[in-house]
Amino acid sequence: MFKQQAKRLVAWGGAALAGLWASVANASIFWIFDPHGIMAKTNLQYMIIDVAVMGAIVGLTTLLVIWFMWKYSKGKNRGKYDAHWSHSNVLEVVVWGIPIIAVGFLSYFAYKGTFEINPYNPTVITKHMAPKGDPIHVDVIATDWQWLFVYPQYHMAVANELVLPTHTPVFFRLTSTAVTSGFFIPQLVGMIDVMPGMRTKNALESDRVGEYQGIASDYAGAGTSWMTFKTKMVTEADFQNWVAKVQASPKTMDYASFNRFAEPYINVNHHVVYFSHVEDGIFDHLIMEVMNGKTWPLPPAMTENMVAYLQKQAAEHRD
Amino acid sequence: MLVQVPGGWNPLLGRLALDQIPYTNPILAPLFVAVVIGAILLIGLITYYHKWGYLWKEWLTTVDHKKLGVMYIILGLVMLFRGFVDGLMIRTQQVWANGPQSSGVFGAEHGYLTPFHFGQVYSAHGLIMILLAATPLLVGFMNIIVPIQVGARDMAYPYLNALGLWITAAAVGLIMASLFVGDFAHNGWFGYAPIFELQYSPGVGVDYWIWTLELTALGTTLGGINLIATIVKMRAPGMTWFRLPIFTWASLSANIIALTSFPALQIALALVACDRYFGSHFFTAGYGGNLMLYTNLFWIWGHPEVYFVILPAFGMMSEIFPTFSEKPLFGYITMVAASFAIAGVSWLVWLHHFFTMGAGPDVNSFFSIATMLVGIPTGVKVFNWAFTMYRGRITYTAAMLWAIGALFLLLIGGLTGMMLAIPAINYMVHNSVFVIAHFHSMLLVIVYAIFASVIFWFPKVFGFKLDEFWAKTMFWLFSGGTALVFIPMYMLGFMGQTRRLDYVFNTAWHPYLLTEEIGIGVYCLSVAAFFVLLYVSIRDRVKNRVGQDAWGTSRSLEWLTHSPVPFYNFAVTPHVNARDELAWRRQNGINETQPAHYVDIHMPNNTGVAVYIGALTFVLGFALTWRVWWLCLVSLVAIIVLMIVRSWRGDPGYIITAAELEKMEREAMRRQQQIEADHLPQHGGHAVPGGAMAFDGQRVAPLGTPPSAGDQH
Amino acid sequence: MSAHNSPDPKTATLWDTHYHGHDVISTRTFGYFLYLLSDGMLFATLFAAYGVLSYSHSYYNGPTPADFVHPWYTFTQTVALFLSVLAYGMGMSALKKGSKAGVMNGLIAAFVLGAVFLGLDIHDMMDLAAHGVTVQTSGGASAFIVLTQTHAAHIFFGLIWIVVMMFQVMSKGFTTDTVGRLLTLRMFWHLQAIIWVFVYVFVYLWGYMS
Repeated sequence: MFKQQAKRLVAWGGAALAGLWASVANASIFWIFDPHGIMAKTNLQYMIIDVAVMGAIVGLTTLLVIWFMWKYSKGKNRGKYDAHWSHSNVLEVVVWGIPIIAVGFLSYFAYKGTFEINPYNPTVITKHMAPKGDPIHVDVIATDWQWLFVYPQYHMAVANELVLPTHTPVFFRLTSTAVTSGFFIPQLVGMIDVMPGMRTKNALESDRVGEYQGIASDYAGAGTSWMTFKTKMVTEADFQNWVAKVQASPKTMDYASFNRFAEPYINVNHHVVYFSHVEDGIFDHLIMEVMNGKTWPLPPAMTENMVAYLQKQAAEHRD
Repeated sequence: MLVQVPGGWNPLLGRLALDQIPYTNPILAPLFVAVVIGAILLIGLITYYHKWGYLWKEWLTTVDHKKLGVMYIILGLVMLFRGFVDGLMIRTQQVWANGPQSSGVFGAEHGYLTPFHFGQVYSAHGLIMILLAATPLLVGFMNIIVPIQVGARDMAYPYLNALGLWITAAAVGLIMASLFVGDFAHNGWFGYAPIFELQYSPGVGVDYWIWTLELTALGTTLGGINLIATIVKMRAPGMTWFRLPIFTWASLSANIIALTSFPALQIALALVACDRYFGSHFFTAGYGGNLMLYTNLFWIWGHPEVYFVILPAFGMMSEIFPTFSEKPLFGYITMVAASFAIAGVSWLVWLHHFFTMGAGPDVNSFFSIATMLVGIPTGVKVFNWAFTMYRGRITYTAAMLWAIGALFLLLIGGLTGMMLAIPAINYMVHNSVFVIAHFHSMLLVIVYAIFASVIFWFPKVFGFKLDEFWAKTMFWLFSGGTALVFIPMYMLGFMGQTRRLDYVFNTAWHPYLLTEEIGIGVYCLSVAAFFVLLYVSIRDRVKNRVGQDAWGTSRSLEWLTHSPVPFYNFAVTPHVNARDELAWRRQNGINETQPAHYVDIHMPNNTGVAVYIGALTFVLGFALTWRVWWLCLVSLVAIIVLMIVRSWRGDPGYIITAAELEKMEREAMRRQQQIEADHLPQHGGHAVPGGAMAFDGQRVAPLGTPPSAGDQH
Repeated sequence: MSAHNSPDPKTATLWDTHYHGHDVISTRTFGYFLYLLSDGMLFATLFAAYGVLSYSHSYYNGPTPADFVHPWYTFTQTVALFLSVLAYGMGMSALKKGSKAGVMNGLIAAFVLGAVFLGLDIHDMMDLAAHGVTVQTSGGASAFIVLTQTHAAHIFFGLIWIVVMMFQVMSKGFTTDTVGRLLTLRMFWHLQAIIWVFVYVFVYLWGYMS
């Protein structure tokens, strides 16, 4: 009776896993395997190299273990039994040699890859930059729990939406005015930490128009799960139209209005705000402010009851 | 000097107030009632059976390393269960709170846990599983096995050993108290700067987290000192370094890591405490603090800690593979070298936990290559286990199945670990659930090794075997759960799901989250199978009794003494002549030879001081958490006074005379002969001199038939 | 492998009836050495933290060690601690001769000099606080104070220990327990002096000069 139950369990489990595997065919859901930007693409190439090398070793080892398990099973008399055999110089050389060679081989790629996608100076972008036109600069400021994207070249800012032209290198400077989090657009560029009082950098370039998900990849408190943003890669012409649209917005952002913006806010409804003008140097100014001890603290136990908090948030007309 | 805390504070009770008890919480309040009823039942039962005296004299005040080890393991298993329930809650929340249409209850917008509560659940899950489940379980096994393996009568410092246990128990008490009084940290088990600073985490949760970790660190450091000293100073005559059993080697390398790395954790958390209590600026973003310092300090401990827990697990596997392959471990010397290589390299890899923090490419690639170096000795270990099976005679007992499961998980964890070691890959999957799946693969290696060891060494400690059928059933259910939870989790990592999401925004991930939830259900069945296993084994304990060499093919010194191990371990200290002493004796037909005569032996007395100090450290931790300053002072002074009193009285120990010893030994011998007479038809390995080494295929039960389920009925 | 260099099983010793195990004092001092190793790691971590937090921006806009450190004042602390260690060492050489009075004198002198060290340290801290240098001033000041005061806390517990040992030596004489404890206390006291050398050089002198 028990065996039947076990069989049924195996059947259910197998069916579930097979179903999952079938969905692999639908590749677009596997964001890491479907990169649309040069940074993410390079990452995937290194992943393929690494998995090929290690997968071969691990796969062969698995087969070896299974073969030994089959052959030397007690009472089956398939293999010779040797009660004392426990040393072989040849095998010692092999068992140390294989991992050493594999690690040595992969070390070269690890070293090379680290420079190619170094977020501060990614050579996959910077080496071929000249013909691709002027780069776009974006200053990313993470608050509790929103993203503010400042476009210093256009003196404007956008909250919770990132719009970028294709075929153009994009360079980010990132900081946070609250706690540590991470900036991550799975199909375009890998993660980089955003930290209060510090500046990190990242870069991306994409040739494909589309809408991509951006994520806060590090736990930053109660609102982290909703701290997402859409990244739209658009053509150069569309980008200029969009800039014009943002610059027509009635809202502007200066230090005073930033103080209000940076108060804890859970972005449940994914609202996007355009600021037609932003005070110059706000990014560096905020880093200095935070280094001088400025914080936007949480009210104690604000998230004990989230429904109640969201009602309060809505009542303050911040939504 | 002290920092003002938000909310009330009064000199008598500190921050404690009635509203800190979450009696309105729909999850915690019923749990609290259940715990209270359970406690009343337990206390009632103990009183009814008049077992308080027994409990106090035989267990709570004991300094016997085996009993302390058993208590460590019970503590670890209880916390493993608590951690598992946390895991179940996390998975349930994620499958429920998926997409904007998902419903919400209990004050949560989606699912049933508010973000703040969800943060506490996964922080507790991580902390408990690594430091209060895996660590006590492994320390428990080292406690029981290492002294017997080196032929010692007890640990080098029996009283210190008890102290280590009770301080760890105090840490467990503290994290359990956080369930019902106040709250727990929401900043993850390793904490992020500056979210654990007072202005972002104004409650007592982070303080609970700090003092739980500090107490665990203290307990583990004391245990580490004790184990290293035991291995270095207490070996039986003839036990040279290269005759040391491999599990003891693994324990030595692990405890060297513990001893040198735990201070980094203690300091990192003490500095967090300074920030929170005195308003210093170690890890604040402003005022000259450096929040990256915390991350570095934590992982300087954190990564060696990972190897502190995995090396003993490797040692366990290295004991189990030879026993059930009926031949010596392949490449003993390189196995030892590999353990120490892992221990050494563990100090050079901490930065791979935060490649994304923006270090330069030179630094990142240095740590990347250093991390991959760990793959070399680990790979060697895998190959050595494989070649241990080569030309062996493998019996697929439940213990062996768990060990093989650990081996395969290690291969998967190794493959994904080598992916994470390369920054160019790491940037895409760091902080994604891919990382979660990777380190769960690795930590499950430990869990598998632990269950293998529970089955393997259980007869040594209790004198009877666990039921093979239920042990195997549990293995298959557990493995099914592992596959169903972690295969989809790896896949979700490739889909870009990041970790610690209270609400999962992408509905396309729902089938995968649902599969994980089904896997958790299968895990629940394996937990049930474990309880059945215990029940069935204890019910059938008489017919499953075993003699000294429980498996008939055991190799190292612990199997030379009786099962269950007498409190003095060996009546006469064995003289070690070979690397696998018991295998050597059995091969030469002298494994049954007993000492010619006995002499008086000296044993340490039981003491209640360790329990008192443990209880006081709990009070100290609790008082620090709630900022009850007078209670901190009182408990600290009481601890110091108790230590002085203990040092004043000392422990003269007591003598077991040769005559008493001979009587006890004769009784044990009689038991052994009785068991051999009962069991001869099935596995008479040790009854026939050299039996296990000779080919006796026809006497062995066919593969797949559990030895105990054979012809007893 | 196991059969290679093992003795003949017919004549091999299997049980060691007269094995009395380890020497109690050497086992205890070894274990204590291991504890001191972890204590050393504790300080190493604190030094690392101090190193990271001793850049000029770590002091925010507040005073740096160059403003508030007095090397000569601290030098008297150094002398007191070293003399205390010396006194303890002389007590230990009296222990070799079995002289109870010699050991007691050594312990008393070590205690008094240690107390002088601690008194000077507390005075120094009060003075700093009066001049507005506390842990709340800046990250650099936090690191400075926590490092030096962790060392002072070790000295404080060492003083308690010395008092306890004075009573134990007086009432019990030189037993295995008391001699073992005197030896481990010597190791502890020496380590604290060694760590003080690092504190004095890297924190006080270097801080003063930078």
